[in-house]
Amino acid sequence: MSAAVPIPVIQLLQVLTVALGAPGLMGVIAKVEARLQGRRGPRVLQPYYDLAKLCRKEALAPSGASWFFLIAPPAAVAAYLTIPLLIPVLTTYGLPLGYMGDILGGGFLLSLASFLVATAALETGSPYAQLGSSRAKTFSAITEPVVLFVVFTVALLTGTDLPYALSATVRSSAGQVVRPAHLLASAALFMVILHETGRIPVETHTGTNEFGMIEEARSFEHSGPYLALLRWGSMLKQFILFTILADVFLAPWGLASTQRLGAVLLAIVALLAKAAVVGCVVAVIDDSFAKLRLFKITEYASAAFLLAVLGVFTLYLGGG
Amino acid sequence: MNPAPGVYQGAADVIAALMLLLEFGMLRQALVRDQVRLYAAQSAMISVLAVVIAADRNLPDLYALAALSAALKVFAVPLVLRRLLGPPAVEETRGVAGSYTLSPASAVLASIVLAAFGFFCFGSLGIHGADVPALALSVAGAMVFVAFALMIVRRDVASQAIGFFSLENAVSLAALVLAAELPLLLETAFLFDLLLAVVVFGMLIRAHHSRSESLSTADLTRLRG
Repeated sequence: MSAAVPIPVIQLLQVLTVALGAPGLMGVIAKVEARLQGRRGPRVLQPYYDLAKLCRKEALAPSGASWFFLIAPPAAVAAYLTIPLLIPVLTTYGLPLGYMGDILGGGFLLSLASFLVATAALETGSPYAQLGSSRAKTFSAITEPVVLFVVFTVALLTGTDLPYALSATVRSSAGQVVRPAHLLASAALFMVILHETGRIPVETHTGTNEFGMIEEARSFEHSGPYLALLRWGSMLKQFILFTILADVFLAPWGLASTQRLGAVLLAIVALLAKAAVVGCVVAVIDDSFAKLRLFKITEYASAAFLLAVLGVFTLYLGGG
Repeated sequence: MNPAPGVYQGAADVIAALMLLLEFGMLRQALVRDQVRLYAAQSAMISVLAVVIAADRNLPDLYALAALSAALKVFAVPLVLRRLLGPPAVEETRGVAGSYTLSPASAVLASIVLAAFGFFCFGSLGIHGADVPALALSVAGAMVFVAFALMIVRRDVASQAIGFFSLENAVSLAALVLAAELPLLLETAFLFDLLLAVVVFGMLIRAHHSRSESLSTADLTRLRG
């Protein structure tokens, strides 16, 4: 029988797993994408080397940019690193800090980080960075109702909007898994995740074509460690969203139900594996579909909205 | 907390929800060929649902119905429709592609409201029972309204025919979940109703096309031609 891990250490491990696993997940997706295209692709550890290289580079700021330009990247990363305290990353039971915010609290932190990065991009005066910020905020506004309806579905299913409660509800019976409301909300959330992480069919993640850029254009004027923080921030956001999809909605199995070291380590491995599987699905989608034209993104968002609304209808009006 | 239905009811409800999504897909698709594909997929879903209900309630008749329904609605009807429409390249010139009276996004939003009304109407009937997946019944109600919306927002004969056929799928869904023990003879009679509709719509498509070289109904502005 393995030793019990103190609760504060588990809480810290949740943050460290996300912080250190996020670049690795990006590496796995890039590798799978390259393999599917018949290329060898970069090493899985390449994102870590890229971040280390950027940290050693000189940092420059455009003339006229204020302190906000420099404070935004670390503040955004801090916001992202707070979210793993609120969601079930490694454990089935709620950790002490897990109840300081619900799903809306997590959503607020994600929005806060996005707002900080967008405002810092506006500070630069660069047309591309401003264009990216403007587009990101416009499209966020139309995916926001989808997220709200997903939250409504969760609230109707569990009677609360705590991520731990939904995770426990999904684990409770097979009937909960095959429930249309749950599946529709999960599908809508997945579509939002593709949008939020700047993936096909919304955006070319590795593209350099400025006209189609949304999220990627915002970091154009940052350099050195600040650019590294922005890149790491977008990796963290991706890992967190994948964790919410896997550990709260689709596969909340493999989480530690006790404080034993073995269970916690197993939960870390399970989370990394689940995130890699979601990443592989995203890579397949990336390689199978074309990027939508910019004005068609609203139709993509309306399809996600349809799924989320039908999820609420099935529960609220259909009695399912 | 909202209690979960059993696995059988959940599976039936998921199949019904997928059918409703396919109905929305038909509403959204610009080309009739894609609509025909989605109709075939929706019909396949209803056959799967018949098999699920047959297995759960031990009704061997339903297996025969599922096979017959699949042969007719998944293969025969789509094949006839494709033949009637001719080669894909011609579709553009026949006034089919983009025959919307509303923009796609507005059509979807309006249909969401209609679907909500359908959910509400059938949910208010209060039909409950151990073997009745209540949600699947409400979904059938929503599908009826969305199928009507499809027939209204598109101005071409082919899309309207697809809307009508999918309406029949919605009615079949309601019949399956409400009265699965209906005699096979009656179920088969319903399927022949569909055949009749295919013949009527086939004649309509041919007659309309021979008269105006188009499948669009936009020019039909007078009661007498």
